[in-house]
Amino acid sequence: MAIEGVDLIRAAAFIGAGLAMGFGAIGPGVGEGFAAGKACEAIGRKPEEAGLLTRTMLVGQAVSESTGIYSLVVALLLLFVV
Amino acid sequence: MEDISKITQFVINLFGLNLVFNVETIIMTWIVMAALIVFAFLASRNIGFLPNPFQVVGEFFVSAFYGLTKDALDEDMAKTYFPLICSLFMFLLLSNWLGILPKLSEPTKDLNTTLGLGIMGFFIAHHAGIKTKGLKKYAKEYCEPMFFMAPLNIIGELAKVVSISFRLYGNILGGAIIILVVSHLIYSLALPPFLMCFFSLFIGTIQAFVFTMLTLVYISVQVK
Amino acid sequence: MTLDVPVMIKLASYAGAGLCIGLGAIGAALGEGFTAGMANQGLSQKPEQSGDILKNMLVGQAIAESAGIFALVIAILLLFLGAPVTTMLKASALFSAGLCMGLGAIGSGIGSGYPGGHCCLGLARQPAISSRLTTNMLIGSAVCQTPAIFSMVVALMLMFMDFSQMPLWPTWAAFLGAGLSTGLAAIGSGAGGGLAAGASCEGISRNPDTVGQVTTTMLVGQAVSQTPSIFGLLVSFILMFKTFPESTALAASMALLGAGISMGFGGIGPGIGNGMTAEGAVRWISRNIEATGALTRTMLVGQAVSQSTAIYAMVVSLVLIFVV
Repeated sequence: MAIEGVDLIRAAAFIGAGLAMGFGAIGPGVGEGFAAGKACEAIGRKPEEAGLLTRTMLVGQAVSESTGIYSLVVALLLLFVV
Repeated sequence: MEDISKITQFVINLFGLNLVFNVETIIMTWIVMAALIVFAFLASRNIGFLPNPFQVVGEFFVSAFYGLTKDALDEDMAKTYFPLICSLFMFLLLSNWLGILPKLSEPTKDLNTTLGLGIMGFFIAHHAGIKTKGLKKYAKEYCEPMFFMAPLNIIGELAKVVSISFRLYGNILGGAIIILVVSHLIYSLALPPFLMCFFSLFIGTIQAFVFTMLTLVYISVQVK
Repeated sequence: MTLDVPVMIKLASYAGAGLCIGLGAIGAALGEGFTAGMANQGLSQKPEQSGDILKNMLVGQAIAESAGIFALVIAILLLFLGAPVTTMLKASALFSAGLCMGLGAIGSGIGSGYPGGHCCLGLARQPAISSRLTTNMLIGSAVCQTPAIFSMVVALMLMFMDFSQMPLWPTWAAFLGAGLSTGLAAIGSGAGGGLAAGASCEGISRNPDTVGQVTTTMLVGQAVSQTPSIFGLLVSFILMFKTFPESTALAASMALLGAGISMGFGGIGPGIGNGMTAEGAVRWISRNIEATGALTRTMLVGQAVSQSTAIYAMVVSLVLIFVV
């Protein structure tokens, strides 16, 4: 079973895309969940501030999402461009 | 078992473009629509102090969702968007429950249905945002908190559409496949009714509620 | 050294059985230990309740054990059931079945231990409401076990279905990917669901009037946390049932394996995160029931944003399966 160079490269690119998105989803998932949990606690303590707390939570989650988006971009690059 | 992945499609060729219709999904959607229209007719007939059972159910849905909508938006906006939210929930609830009846299947098992509803919610939310805040302030919000976050914010908005649609699609399709496969493995002996109860009824209700609440929240986030 | 088909099948099934029970033992043991620790803490606060607390601890531990029992059953089946159809493809399917069940039992074991522990602690705090606490613990733990059940279904399908018509070359990777997808994604969802159930037991014990709202929110939060494992199951089914054209190119196999890895690992983080969100919301609904509406909305929004990386992972998987 001879494995050609080009074939090996494509194979590695696919595994790399899988690993990139796979591991890349762990961090933002846990981090954003933690932020949302703390936001719920804060709203429980002070429901009048719900608007401000929700906005802050969303902004914080969006920043935390950024590494997830980086891994999505790399995965898509590995699939279609490389 | 092998025809899990077969979809009957009806293709019309129009001006060189192939218009593809998934026959089963369309028929099931029509059944849901007809059932809801009949229910609405029966519920609003002879409204009086002694309500008929359909009126009781209708009043329950209306009061529950009006309360939720008023919590999220303020009074006059709530009156505008409440019919959308209530009918969205009732449509999704009946769609997710349709799989229990023999020979019928859920229209939300098809990505086209859920993605269509998601895109509709997206356009409605952003239209509400532009109408309330004006085009300039709406566009400026994409540059918060820093200017170069703009592409990430745009991707985030698109991700919201993808996430609600795929969540509903994945849950309903996954549940239908599990019921089919487990019934096949144990020759439909004892377990299928409990599985049906859990996956179709319980998860169907919760996913319909989550989809509706998220659409409502996306509208309220754009409007505030 | 010739590796002919019966040798490969035995090799795969023994390795798979070992991994299955080895990994599966982790979660159940961790969960049961957590339950026992919290039970001791409760006993130290109220030794008179020892009968009730001990009973609830054993019941909670039994549910956490069930994930380990699933893994044991699959491992024994792998050891002793001779495969009737002997093709090389079966070897990959058997190994993948073991991997799937082993990984899937980790999360559910840990997750089911959490409500058991908080139930015992809650009994010490509020002995009068013991029946309601036990009910919530049972409901919460049962929902937590669903990812392990998904893993067992996929493992049984991989072991018993007849795949001999499929070509060997890309399909061995498809089966391995299918096992990884469900098995890994079940870790996060199992653990996350447990966090929510534990917070509900704690909340009920602090404020028994709020039982209805707390239970409803717990169920909604848990249902959303289970979604990553359902995505994993969906990708597994697609990998198992779609017929792939035969190609000995390594790229095709690695694409399918990559799809499984992507969805599998991608389900871990969002599952745990969604569980933490539901935990915070449920805990505070019991302390401040007027804020239920705002809390439920915030929980749903937070969970939806946190799940978006799981959706990205599923999109990458689907692209790897269908487009590439």
